[in-house]
Amino acid sequence: MGQLRLLLQVAFRNLFSSKINLLIGGIIFFGTLLVVVGGALMDSMDSAMSRSIIGSVAGHIQVYSDDSKDPLALYGSMSGEPDLAALDDFSQLKPFLEKHPNVKTVVPLGTSGAIITSGNTVDLTLSNLRELYKKRDEAGETPELRESIDSVKGHVRQMVNLMADQTARSEQELGGAQKDPAEVKALAQARTDAFWDAFEEDPYASLELLENRIAPQIPDGDMLELRYAGTDLDAFQRTFDRMEIVDGQPVPTGQRGMLLSKFFYEEFLKMKSALRLDHIKQERDLNQKTIATDPELQRWVKENQVQTREIIFQLDPVKTRKMVERLQKLLGSQEPALDTLLTQFFTTDDANFDTRYAQFYSELAPLLELYRLRMGDVLTITAFTRTGYMQSVNVKVYGTYQFKGLEKSAMAGALSLMDLMSFRDLYGYLTADKKAELAEIQQQSGLEALSRDEAEEALFGEASDNVLVAEATSTDVDDQAAFIGDQGALTRENLLQRVYTQQEIEQGVALSAAVMLKDPELLEQTMVELRQAAKDAGLKLRVVSWQEAAGIIGQFVLLGKMVLYFAVFIIFVVALVIINNAMMMATMQRVREVGTMRAIGAQRSFILGMVLVETLVLGLVFGAAGSLVGSGIMALLNSAGIPAGNEALYFFFSGPRLFPTLSASNLVAAFVIVLGVSAISTLYPAFLATRVSPLQAMQTDE
Amino acid sequence: MNPTASQASIVSITNVTKDYTLGKVVVPALRGVDLEVHAGEFISIAGPSGSGKTTLLNLIGCVDTATGGVVRVAGQDTKQLTERQLTNLRLNTIGFIFQSFNLVQVLSVFQNVEFPLLLQRKLDKAQRRERVMQLLEQVGLASHAKHRPNELSGGQRQRVAVARALVTRPQLVLADEPTANLDSVTGQNIIDLMKELNQKEGTTFIFSTHDAKVMSHANAVVRLADGKFLDRISAAEASRVMAAGGH
Repeated sequence: MGQLRLLLQVAFRNLFSSKINLLIGGIIFFGTLLVVVGGALMDSMDSAMSRSIIGSVAGHIQVYSDDSKDPLALYGSMSGEPDLAALDDFSQLKPFLEKHPNVKTVVPLGTSGAIITSGNTVDLTLSNLRELYKKRDEAGETPELRESIDSVKGHVRQMVNLMADQTARSEQELGGAQKDPAEVKALAQARTDAFWDAFEEDPYASLELLENRIAPQIPDGDMLELRYAGTDLDAFQRTFDRMEIVDGQPVPTGQRGMLLSKFFYEEFLKMKSALRLDHIKQERDLNQKTIATDPELQRWVKENQVQTREIIFQLDPVKTRKMVERLQKLLGSQEPALDTLLTQFFTTDDANFDTRYAQFYSELAPLLELYRLRMGDVLTITAFTRTGYMQSVNVKVYGTYQFKGLEKSAMAGALSLMDLMSFRDLYGYLTADKKAELAEIQQQSGLEALSRDEAEEALFGEASDNVLVAEATSTDVDDQAAFIGDQGALTRENLLQRVYTQQEIEQGVALSAAVMLKDPELLEQTMVELRQAAKDAGLKLRVVSWQEAAGIIGQFVLLGKMVLYFAVFIIFVVALVIINNAMMMATMQRVREVGTMRAIGAQRSFILGMVLVETLVLGLVFGAAGSLVGSGIMALLNSAGIPAGNEALYFFFSGPRLFPTLSASNLVAAFVIVLGVSAISTLYPAFLATRVSPLQAMQTDE
Repeated sequence: MNPTASQASIVSITNVTKDYTLGKVVVPALRGVDLEVHAGEFISIAGPSGSGKTTLLNLIGCVDTATGGVVRVAGQDTKQLTERQLTNLRLNTIGFIFQSFNLVQVLSVFQNVEFPLLLQRKLDKAQRRERVMQLLEQVGLASHAKHRPNELSGGQRQRVAVARALVTRPQLVLADEPTANLDSVTGQNIIDLMKELNQKEGTTFIFSTHDAKVMSHANAVVRLADGKFLDRISAAEASRVMAAGGH
């Protein structure tokens, strides 16, 4: 007892007696600080990201077919969409999974990608005009309809003129580049009064000319890649708490429909000029960049000045006039040309940007369609099915949504949601509707199902009295009726209105099932048990955690952790070396003291104990100080929050600000690590100290 | 004042040699020394630098081992003892007084003196306190018990060292040039203190010195030269020899 007290006393008094101890103490202090703060930050980010990922699409566990070639990657992977085998019937899988006592909910999922074409402004306006004529044909002409038709016609004519002007100008500048003479002719024709005077005689023919000859001359239509997840939308919204509707409304229960991701909607479907303004504003506000210093912002300003066509094309003559008036008023200018006015308006610097931004949205935006797609529009999605043919499906867009915390992530935030029926159509699996349609066609065309074995015999066999030469039928075929049929067309129209039962939604293909757990702590155990249950039931399933299922994003989390741990590891290896050296020096300095102790009867074990206790005390005192300061810093950060300065951090923080919390485990970990490191780094110096001979005591001071 | 035969021999050295190896050269420090020291003696070891005084004291103090010959301390052949046993022998039988005092700087005067008692683990706290205070009383530093060594003068520090050497009531106290770092008056006081304790407690003292005045307090002076035993003379004789400037 007395000895230990003495050791502690010696240790405490030695603490501040030498500079070397202060150096070691300093290292331990900052080491602990780093582990506490870094660990807590990492854990906070980890849990924030886990919450975002689990609460968005992944759930705690994902279950998918073991026949899949690639591992599941919900947010996509580097090499595109993973090749997954389908789960043939989700309604069979669901009860199986729900049998497990820890499973709360099971949601069917299927992620895939497709191309959508967002037509250019001319296309959109022309299709708008076509609709109006169709309406007229169906319901007869009314004065209102006439007015609309004339307005849109005026708009189209203005666009044609603009195009012709631009073509002429660019020809002048570029010295007559190669142009398709047919195009040039069409454009010239569309400018003539004769063309427009004759328009009403055969509006569809005129429209066709515009659609086929004029519209393709404008290259601003985009092919957009759309990533989507087909799911049971109601169950999805119930299960994933991070999901929130931003614009529009949820897809009505049981109906086909889509919710676009807000990120996708903004980045790809918004008018480019407006998007660039938004980007400039965000960079200025969030990242404190200035137009004066940042080349990227300067580029955006420049692009807005030059690329005004998207705005000009959108405006019919009436709106053009209004726009010119407003701009003249805003800019205090007499300039009559809209493009010059717009260029002036978009000439922004740090001083006038905020005003112009506000003016754009309050004054100009009401005259414009800011988005190429409105809520309630029907989007045609074209995808390659699993079997390789193209499949198009019309889906009504009901709204946009975002996952809280992932709204700025290009990867996770770009996932749009779709009903399972449309997903199955696109994916190339037969939905009940398709099956029925197919059966009908089959019946109509008198096809017989032949088994493969019989096919050869039936077609080529001796016994067959088939004539092998195809006989061309000479009867007129009504394309419309044969391929779509009145009934088919009707079905297609109705598909968008049809309400599916829960059973219909669940009976069919899904690519994976997201499983939410009652107790997330039991994740590993539940996974093991589900795997075993699947094996026992003879189901070929893969059961993976959310982190694995998130693919590249899950790996981000892992990577972040590994980087921190690696940094900590390096720091502590360095600390180990420094502490080791410092302790060696400290021991050398104390050779005479140790020798004296040995001479007057201290055993080697006593010396060993002394050095170890001293390091331990050193570690405890400075480690505690480091933990204390670290806790203080964390408390400060917790109340103030750390702003996410850029988009990468926004993702890691799962939101605009991270409010990190310190858990007891961070402190314990820091203490264990620090004490471990100091103990290890002292072993050799301590051993050396025990080897000090009592003879050293006899040496006199130099 | 020669010791009587009835008194037990506390140190018995027979034909002891000690070689140091410096690189490839073997330097003999002791070349066959014989010495008997009896309990209660107050002996000075004298000789010029390099004559082997310190080496001899180290062998007696069990902090070094002889190359040849037998060193017996308190009846035990030190060659036969393990490192652990030697340490225990130092702790329980021998007290050390060093030329540079060698106090533990971070401990108080009281704690420095108490240190060997803590290593011994024989006495409880109260007993230790009584023993330490008694020693500090004897060396005249009871009022400085709470001071740190660096708050004391050289003489005071050496008195603390004396108290520390004696606190375990050792049979034998070894002191290598105990006055070398002190001025002559202070050195004189330390020797007086040692002598007083020798007479009161009957503790055997062996100290090395080349100061004739210090030597004069000894019962006997053992003279060494070139690592060999020269002679054993009385203090008075030694004074004469020293005064004559010879050995």
